[in-house]
Amino acid sequence: MGSKALVMTGGVISMTNHIFSFKNSFSRTIIIPKYRRVIRSCSTVSSGSSLLPPDVSRLAETARISLAPNEVIEFTPKIQQVIDWFGQLQDVELQSVEPALRADMEGDSLRADIPKTFENREAMISAIPSFEEPYIKVPKVLSKE
Amino acid sequence: MLSTFQSPRSLSRLHLPLRPLKALSSSHRTAATTTTTSALIDQSPPPASSLSSQILSIRHSLLSRELTATQLAESCLSRLLLTEPHLNSFLHISDSVLREAQEIDDRLSRNEDVGPLAGVLVGVKDNICTADMPSTGGSRILESYRPPFDATAVKRVKELGGIVVGKTNLDEFGMGSTTEGSAYKVTSNPWDVSRVPGGSSGGSAAAVSARQCAVSLGSDTGGSVRQPASFCGVVGLKPTYGRVSRYGLMAYASSLDVIGCFGSSVADAGILLGAISGHDRLDATSSHRGVPDFSIHFTSADTFGAKPLEGLRVGLICETLDSGVDPGVTSAVHAAASHLEELGCVIKEVSLPSFSLGLPAYYILASSESSSNLSRYDGIRYGNQVAAEGLNSLYGNSRALGFGAEVKMRILMGTYALSAGYYDAYYKRAQQVRTVIRNSFKAALDENDILISPAAPSAAYRIGEKKNDPLAMYAGDIMTVNVNLAGLPALVLPCGFVEGGPTGLPVGLQMIGAAFDEEKLLKVGHIFEQTLQGPKFVPPLIASEVASS
Repeated sequence: MGSKALVMTGGVISMTNHIFSFKNSFSRTIIIPKYRRVIRSCSTVSSGSSLLPPDVSRLAETARISLAPNEVIEFTPKIQQVIDWFGQLQDVELQSVEPALRADMEGDSLRADIPKTFENREAMISAIPSFEEPYIKVPKVLSKE
Repeated sequence: MLSTFQSPRSLSRLHLPLRPLKALSSSHRTAATTTTTSALIDQSPPPASSLSSQILSIRHSLLSRELTATQLAESCLSRLLLTEPHLNSFLHISDSVLREAQEIDDRLSRNEDVGPLAGVLVGVKDNICTADMPSTGGSRILESYRPPFDATAVKRVKELGGIVVGKTNLDEFGMGSTTEGSAYKVTSNPWDVSRVPGGSSGGSAAAVSARQCAVSLGSDTGGSVRQPASFCGVVGLKPTYGRVSRYGLMAYASSLDVIGCFGSSVADAGILLGAISGHDRLDATSSHRGVPDFSIHFTSADTFGAKPLEGLRVGLICETLDSGVDPGVTSAVHAAASHLEELGCVIKEVSLPSFSLGLPAYYILASSESSSNLSRYDGIRYGNQVAAEGLNSLYGNSRALGFGAEVKMRILMGTYALSAGYYDAYYKRAQQVRTVIRNSFKAALDENDILISPAAPSAAYRIGEKKNDPLAMYAGDIMTVNVNLAGLPALVLPCGFVEGGPTGLPVGLQMIGAAFDEEKLLKVGHIFEQTLQGPKFVPPLIASEVASS
């Protein structure tokens, strides 16, 4: 179940839809993605890069969660609030700092790549909601267009 | 501060009979118990003062043949069942406790060895897999799920003779700080049932606090063992990342998650940690480091001497004692620092300037990693499935119905932060902040043996108080998240009280150590605990049952 990346185009092109003023005062340019769908976009003029506010419906689609319309309405301001709060990291000087994958300093201890049969396959199989030996049944993979 | 969104839960529950629980148990006798009334009364655990460890006391009783495992299990189980309607700590209670206790008694009668945890009832947080019991992660999406394997930590508890008494309540998939995020029920704080036990391991903390079980396992990603330990007045131990195998722990944020221990004493938490620690080939992040025998440090107070912690350098993190912290908490921590000084410690104030960055960095990392980890809950191979016409709808509907609101929001936030073009701004920056925080802790722990701080900015607040304001709830994690980012071990133990509830609310002191130095934390914590004057940390709900010194 992969997640689709947001499609970005280089440079500012056309802005679909209405423009509204962004709450935050990031004084940087925006890279405006080109979506097939209708999204709200915003404009500023100065240099740098800025980030578009979360489009909750689009994110829900990416995350494969069928949100109800009232959930979109309820979640959007809360998510917006938290994402804004995340934004404070933008102001921190982190130029020469190495990103840490995790705190662990020992390095990976991987075991040998030798297959071993799991001893309780029956229990795993019995947990499958829709099973028809030997297939896990899924509905049609409809193309989305 | 926040207004209360809901009226406090029905206060009729607050008028709990404070008659001794022993008297209650004789009038609420169930058919299941077979021992006589007098045997049940006599079989309650020895007074808290006589031995610092319930685990050691149980072992002593079994090996000296004073008590049987069955008697001990029945006593504990009856207290569990009596208090459970008031607390709701458990999502599932094992039906084989007495059978397992009987097996231990059979082995003892044949003079066979029994493990060091024989007869000890252990609660297990429901995001830790147990093969013979449901494991829901506190979520509807796993409502019917029975794992085909035991988590390594559970396997080790059982190998050493421990009895898993049940699965404890939690915030869904570990996301939350109050246990109100469970899809099933809300757990109450034994000190005041209108208040939260903390989270996400609220059930595990409440169960140990109310002596429903001797010890319990929880998980700590951003403070989920330490904050409930503080709120419930018990000991909570977060090991170093990699100390305990994560195999069988439902992953929330893989670079931050650890399994941790609750006990009513430092010794109990430490013995449990020793039991579950050590390398596991099934967890690529588990450390090969040897596990010291922690139990050698749990000596009785009369062996301590005048200044048992002479020369120990303790750093008090000054960013954790500013105006954002409840004054009652600050004074409890200052009092704890004075107590440490009396024991011979040298206390210094230490500044960690990057401290406040940890919170947004943590939430970025945790939501991002969880959005990836929770993609496995797709209704296909296990858990609840919602039928649909097409595959994407099956995913979408199963997840929409199965996940609660907080989980959905965090997945969406994580999806946003990891999107192409946003990764550098959020996730990568958070990783860099992690490096800064790790380095600042390392520097501070070069100068100091341990660091101390509160475990939370307040004592337990009321159920419903923070429900609708995510940032307010997240703010409460400020004391704990940096330790997860740095991967360090930390011990929380009760050190004082603030006003609130029928008899006051407990406050925990957090002690932070260098990587893999749980031994030092346990040694210091044990000495601190055994020499602390004042009332014992026993909630009023069960106070009459546990004799005080």
